[in-house]
Amino acid sequence: MFDRRLITHYDWILLLQVALVAAIGIVNLYSATAAWSGPATPIYLKQMSWFGLGLGIILLICLFDYRHLADLGYPFYGVALLMLLAVLAIGRTTMGATRWLSIGGVGLQPSEVMKVAIIVVLARYFSERATPLGFALKELWRPGLLLIAPVLLVMKQPDLGTALLLLAIGGTMALFAGIRRGTLTILGLAGIVAAWGGWFLLHDYQRRRIYTFLNPESDPLKSGYHIIQSKIAVGSGGWFGQGFRQGTQAQLSFLPERHTDFAFSVFAEEWGFTGCLVVLTLYLLIVLWGLYIARRASDRFGMYLALGVTAMLFWHIVVNLGMVIGLLPVVGVPLPLFSYGGTSMITTMTGVGLLLNVSMRRFMF
Amino acid sequence: MANLERGVTLRIRLLALAFVVAFVLVGWRAFSLQILQKRDWVERAERQHQKSIPLTPQRGTIFDRNGEPMALSMEVDSVYAEPRKLADRDQAARLLAPILDLPQATVRAKLGGDKGFVWLKRQVPPTVSQRVRNLKLDAVGAIKEHQRFYPNSTVGAQVLGFTGLDPKGLAGIEASYDTTLLGRGGYLVMERDALGRGIGSGEPVIEGATRGHDLHLTLDENLQYIVERELAAGVAEFNAKAGAVIVLEPSSGRILAMANQPDYNPNAVSRHKPQDWRNRAISDTFEPGSTLKVFVMAAGLNEGVVTPTQLINCEGGSWKVGGRVIHDSHPHGVLTAEEVLKVSSNIGSAKIGRMLERKRLYGYLREFGFGLKTGLELPGEENGILRDPSRWFEIDLATISFGQGVSVTPLQLAAATGAIANGGALMEPYLVEKITDGEGQVIEERQPKLVRQVVKPEVAARVTRMMETVTAEEGGTGAKARVPGFRVAGKTGTAQKVDPVTGGYSADKRIASFVGFLPADNPRLVVMVMIDEPRGQVYGGLVAAPVFARISTQAMQYLKVPPTEQLSPGETLPTVEEILAQAKKEQEAAAKEAKKAAESESEAAPEEPETVEDVLTADGSAPAAPAGPRMPDFKGMSYRQVIEVMQTSGINVSLRGHGRVIEQSPAPGAAIPYGAPVWVRLAPPGQIEAAGTGGSKG
Repeated sequence: MFDRRLITHYDWILLLQVALVAAIGIVNLYSATAAWSGPATPIYLKQMSWFGLGLGIILLICLFDYRHLADLGYPFYGVALLMLLAVLAIGRTTMGATRWLSIGGVGLQPSEVMKVAIIVVLARYFSERATPLGFALKELWRPGLLLIAPVLLVMKQPDLGTALLLLAIGGTMALFAGIRRGTLTILGLAGIVAAWGGWFLLHDYQRRRIYTFLNPESDPLKSGYHIIQSKIAVGSGGWFGQGFRQGTQAQLSFLPERHTDFAFSVFAEEWGFTGCLVVLTLYLLIVLWGLYIARRASDRFGMYLALGVTAMLFWHIVVNLGMVIGLLPVVGVPLPLFSYGGTSMITTMTGVGLLLNVSMRRFMF
Repeated sequence: MANLERGVTLRIRLLALAFVVAFVLVGWRAFSLQILQKRDWVERAERQHQKSIPLTPQRGTIFDRNGEPMALSMEVDSVYAEPRKLADRDQAARLLAPILDLPQATVRAKLGGDKGFVWLKRQVPPTVSQRVRNLKLDAVGAIKEHQRFYPNSTVGAQVLGFTGLDPKGLAGIEASYDTTLLGRGGYLVMERDALGRGIGSGEPVIEGATRGHDLHLTLDENLQYIVERELAAGVAEFNAKAGAVIVLEPSSGRILAMANQPDYNPNAVSRHKPQDWRNRAISDTFEPGSTLKVFVMAAGLNEGVVTPTQLINCEGGSWKVGGRVIHDSHPHGVLTAEEVLKVSSNIGSAKIGRMLERKRLYGYLREFGFGLKTGLELPGEENGILRDPSRWFEIDLATISFGQGVSVTPLQLAAATGAIANGGALMEPYLVEKITDGEGQVIEERQPKLVRQVVKPEVAARVTRMMETVTAEEGGTGAKARVPGFRVAGKTGTAQKVDPVTGGYSADKRIASFVGFLPADNPRLVVMVMIDEPRGQVYGGLVAAPVFARISTQAMQYLKVPPTEQLSPGETLPTVEEILAQAKKEQEAAAKEAKKAAESESEAAPEEPETVEDVLTADGSAPAAPAGPRMPDFKGMSYRQVIEVMQTSGINVSLRGHGRVIEQSPAPGAAIPYGAPVWVRLAPPGQIEAAGTGGSKG
């Protein structure tokens, strides 16, 4: 049963890239939270143990053949959907949003589980239907429903960022599967109408974020604060940055959320444009490598799986970086491997595990 | 399926392209923020940081090798105001002025502008800040800052250096290890941001403060004290302009003491002339004179051009070379090479130099470290001058052989002598043994570093024996450098100073020096003494050698080095207690003399100083000052209280231990003789008290 090729074909390059980014991220967290004192375990140490747990998850995922997942896709999706419903009913409310489910004392974010579930279920769906001409509108109702249901549930929490990410992941996979031009036009128009209509459904704070993004200076001390502080931090970096643990924006606590969503601002301030380029390149290599894995996958399910995971990583990275440097509005999307947080780390590492799984079984039919 | 395959490849390529485009977009945005618009953003950062006030950081402690603090950072309070929030500025100025001891107009002016924040007075005693707090003014407060404090005042001053208010290290170790010691003061955050922190809250918020690292020096505070006292006595005895002493451990290069006269009090730098801050031991260069003959001899023996018993014609005291005539101070006929060193014959040494020839002599002097910085971790070290041999005329070869036409620093001479003492191996001198962080974790530890083996061990041993004859035998120039109980190897030096006006040698200005080590068989210490422009006597053997002997005698006792020789009848070794007792007696005598001198002075200037502080100001600048101030009663005071008294009275007290004062010297109310040691000993009385004083030590 166990094949020696699994070891020889193990994708060490991907693992190395991931470990490298995670290491830089941990060093950066050390700096970002250096001024914090207290009896609690330092953030960077916690992040290290999360990363260790992530490595364990990767190992676990690699043990079984990803092809079994195809059969588990729908049950897995169903459980995730149920959990999302449960959150609405009995979830834990923090800071005005209900996103957490407490299971046996352990906090869990069902929307994160859904990110993986939607990838698996859509991979299953698209891999079974090959259409050289692309999907027409009426063929898309099932994947559309699969996607829209969790998106609406997540929006209800409310968590606009994650909802949009789910849409982006599903959309990328559908686009890749192929959509007829006419259908695409109709969907595009529908999207615009939905956005216009959705505007009225948005919560006040969500609307304010978009206003703020369009004109952050209108209220620099309140809603524009995050973007401005982050841009000041990044902009103070220059070519080579202010040096490790020397970034005044971060060290003086001007920068909010500097260990989570805005961790990259700290990095950009302390390591400058040079540092940014290095990390950007590493991230780009990871997502391109993901596509490469998809290209070489031994079956269509594997290809779509790899593609979905890559899309998930890509959208997280780009949306977070876009937010940090003021290209996109502030939506709470963490930067994979860089932002502190167990949830983000586990989701990311699960994705990486799936990529590795597909990659190492590329020669097995 | 093939069609589909092609489609897949195409789509993956398109997706890859989209990824690249997205990343390029992000990269371009980063570029435009970080490079193109950098100035704008930095300006904005600075603007908002103005709402946060930088505080003075807590510098690390500098310890001597026994763990005694030589420089530490004390907590002090600084009083600030937020004028914009102040309702009644006139009233505030009226209330604050007397407490801060400032003119009311000054305070009112500071409160005048539309500023968010002003310092009213920095680094005030806690009593003052407490009174400010008691006023309960809304927009006036006090915050902890740190002030540098040197508990031993002048001891080791030039090595330690001092800091400015900011507090950046400006001289000495404080400057060269500034970044290590500095730490980060953090910022007092005034008005903050949307998060609301720092706005309107009663207690000021301090962000980003970290303590600097600690330094552990090779210096020994007690040895340093002995050396400074004897150097000061030597300089005073011969009415000299200046002096320097270095004590180092030849086997490792550790500097145990490095002293200079005149000295200064780093707690009150501004009261002293900048030239007193100079560390002459590394930054004064002088013509070494005869002390250099040791190294010429070592070179000659190592090259085999001369043997110890070889006869050298010293030409009856004058010898024509290169068209000039060189002289010996006492005429000699034919001497053995050994005797050349013992009687310090210029002509004999010049002849050895000639045997070596220019290139080799130059090479050896370079190898001994002359003409190049030793690499000591202090700012302001000089190279000295050792010209390239291609530019030596014949007369230069001769004069350099007896130490003229080259210049060296006392440290170079001490280190090179250390090489002779250390079997020919030159060690790099150093001062910083290790660096530790606030928790005592070692961050960096220095190991002794061999620079090079300059001469063979046999040669070093032979030269050592020759140097012994300098002090031990009849007719040696260094007889006054004898140390009871030990065989001493050494060499005297007397160099003419170059007159800066004429460019020639000065008629009467000399530099007297003595460099030696002991015990001769197993050297523990190298001691280098330099006295600049002594009056009356000018010879190294008469001026510097006795200082060497006094320092070495006490140092051997202090380091508990067992005597190697039988004491001659009548000779006794002082005990450590005697050393201290004698020191006290000497100082009392010196103080009496100073008083006498002051009395004769006071006829010209009959005005009596009004306060204790005035007395000390006078004391600091001139030794001929009136009798010192009275000793306050320190009993029961905390560490910080003692320091407060020191600050207000100007008395420099050396503090030992921590807790409350249990013992002091001199007794309460007694006069403090000039230069006498003033100390208090503290001990922790109990747990409750210890907590209170622990804070003041930081």
